[in-house]
Amino acid sequence: MSFRKRNIGLSTGADRTPALKSSAQPQQSTTAAESSPGIRPSPDDGRPTTSTGSRSLDNLLAGHGGLPLGKTLLIEENGTTDFAGALLRYYAAEGVVQDQKVHVVGMPEQWGRSLPGLIGPADVADEKPDKRKRERMKIAWRYERLGEFGAGVAGSRVPAATSGDQGPSTANGDQAQQPAFCHAFDLTKRLTHPSIANITYIPLGRSNEPLFVTIHKRLQAAIAQSPSNTVHRIIIPSLLNPTLYPPETSQPDAVLPFLHSLRALMSAPSARVTAIITMPLSLFPRSSGLVRWIELLSDGVIELCPFPHSADALATSGAVTAGEEPPQGVLKTHRLPVLHERGGGSDQNIGQDWAFTLSRRKFEIKPFSLPPAEGDKDAQEGAAPGGMPKKADLEF
Amino acid sequence: MPSQPPLPPLLAPYVSSLPQSSLTVLSSVLGATGNWLILRFLYAALNAPSNSETEFGLNQSDGVKDKKVVFVSFLRGWEFWRSEAKRLGLDLARLTDKRQFAFIDGLSELFDNPTTAAAPSQPSFPGTAPPRTVLPVRSPPGPVPGRTPHLLSRPGNVSTNPASKEIGPVKRLHLSGNGTAALDALERDIATVMKQLKTPTPGEAEEPELVLIIDQPDLLLAATGPSKGIGATEMGEWVMGLQQNAYATIMTLSADSPLIHNASAIAHQPATPLETEHAAFAIGSAHRAQMVMQLRSLETGAARDVSGVLRVGKGGAWGQKDAGTEGNWEEKEVLYFVQRDGGVRVFGRGE
Repeated sequence: MSFRKRNIGLSTGADRTPALKSSAQPQQSTTAAESSPGIRPSPDDGRPTTSTGSRSLDNLLAGHGGLPLGKTLLIEENGTTDFAGALLRYYAAEGVVQDQKVHVVGMPEQWGRSLPGLIGPADVADEKPDKRKRERMKIAWRYERLGEFGAGVAGSRVPAATSGDQGPSTANGDQAQQPAFCHAFDLTKRLTHPSIANITYIPLGRSNEPLFVTIHKRLQAAIAQSPSNTVHRIIIPSLLNPTLYPPETSQPDAVLPFLHSLRALMSAPSARVTAIITMPLSLFPRSSGLVRWIELLSDGVIELCPFPHSADALATSGAVTAGEEPPQGVLKTHRLPVLHERGGGSDQNIGQDWAFTLSRRKFEIKPFSLPPAEGDKDAQEGAAPGGMPKKADLEF
Repeated sequence: MPSQPPLPPLLAPYVSSLPQSSLTVLSSVLGATGNWLILRFLYAALNAPSNSETEFGLNQSDGVKDKKVVFVSFLRGWEFWRSEAKRLGLDLARLTDKRQFAFIDGLSELFDNPTTAAAPSQPSFPGTAPPRTVLPVRSPPGPVPGRTPHLLSRPGNVSTNPASKEIGPVKRLHLSGNGTAALDALERDIATVMKQLKTPTPGEAEEPELVLIIDQPDLLLAATGPSKGIGATEMGEWVMGLQQNAYATIMTLSADSPLIHNASAIAHQPATPLETEHAAFAIGSAHRAQMVMQLRSLETGAARDVSGVLRVGKGGAWGQKDAGTEGNWEEKEVLYFVQRDGGVRVFGRGE
């Protein structure tokens, strides 16, 4: 954090934005061509990043405000739910909206047709909670953005200057010239976008080659053929799921070379690729050596542990404020891109327990806190009517 | 927070004095990777004499031999290592030009099946390197079909600086075939690079100390396995073969609990071949090592100012030689913290 006086910049929003932009400029010029939409230099070290389509997840990724190019994210999920699938859809939809090249492995075209519909830039979609907060925090308006997770890194920098407290006129003006980095999507609607037809589907058909060799060759060819400034997104849903993948693919000597080659493909200096892989943990537990190697070959590893349905009642009865939705599960970060490659540590998000909530409009990740125990509440309620009359009885 | 010295004082005795023909095993886990420690080893080996002194031959007087490093990485590419080393003030590209360092890329094309019989283009040491004698003469930088188009797009400037930055002065490994034959081919490739680096250039009086760093060779084992005829025994022999060419060897391994403990008899489920072979290789290597450095996460959960725990212990081969040659260090367990700027703080518990 700089030691700039905070209250100076606020009055002159127009002055602040150029200052921020000029500081970001040298980074932009060094990191490849910045012309492509949906690419933004990381506030941490300036490497190009792209959004996962879910602002909350972007914020989780070790201060980069997005998934750095060339990195893979592995999302593991326990149980039979499909929260990871929702994240994948956001990720794919974001790629479509940003005109990036999306490659989907092992899913039919139906999958692409059911992508969530676009609401607009994520900043605009977040306006409503912003307003609510403004009403609530009359006194502490200066600290409004402090300590709030959603307004972390992705919300800072350029968007901080625009969407913050400086009046809607400047915000709108900047919005127009600054293309949105992350969009909000509605899971109940269907995405209609001209470039949705550009999604490539790589089927898991049988051929005389091993399956993963075929997939790798097709990905490699697709990336080699496209113009060098194209940004690619590789989506591999439910890796090794036996309903999709034949049994021999779950042998280590099939899947691990594939992931290694994928890593090689993505780390090539000219490639601009990100990938998200999801995996069902119920079939392939984390305690097995194979899964551990798959994790070691990924740059980021996130585990989703949805609550069982019976826990819903418990969660709602807790002291969750009226505006918030109850958490649907716990999210664990085992490894974060770039950060852990360097050795780990020093991220403010590390060591937190995360809870996630999937609603119609967004996948939200919040610090997890247990609600007050059920018994306590009863005790309090029991004590209030019981205690007061007694006192009155004593007085009179 | 003040910036840290590249080599934390607590760590220096462990990374800077490697005994002759020793093996150092560095084990890491998912949440506590060892890349920063490898970089410290690189720094200790390559940065010892400052550059101006080498030119005037001043470093010869204090008896410190030149060190050279051959670095084989199976999980991370040249770009990563080059940029991370730069944060430490180590210019690997320049060191490669000075023939002090050679990087062998085990990531990019390890599992690529060469469909064409043409010799793969090998952008080897630009300029100063003598022509290869063992390998086929490098094909002219023209069209090589079906492979890494970004290499082809800039023909003819292999020896210029931008090209070496872009591609990296890198030899790429290929794994083809089965069993020991495949491993032998890899060993030959690595040994060739080591021999090239070892041959003294005219300016150097004596043979330098060559340190070999192998980053995560256990990937080879995991991705092939017994069905391809590569097991823990073969891997162990492979490493031993490579060790013969080097003054000292450092090897990193994954030591996550599923990879080590599932193979033991106490485990509840039957171990897969991957787990048994990995455990055998890792434990076998630790027994052959002089020093074992283990990195792991904090048992008590993540913390904001601690990245993990480093434990330095004596390996199975400790004490087989005279005590004097093995350096004087003691077993220790410390905490470490990797900062945003790449600096590392190493400190004892409670400090």
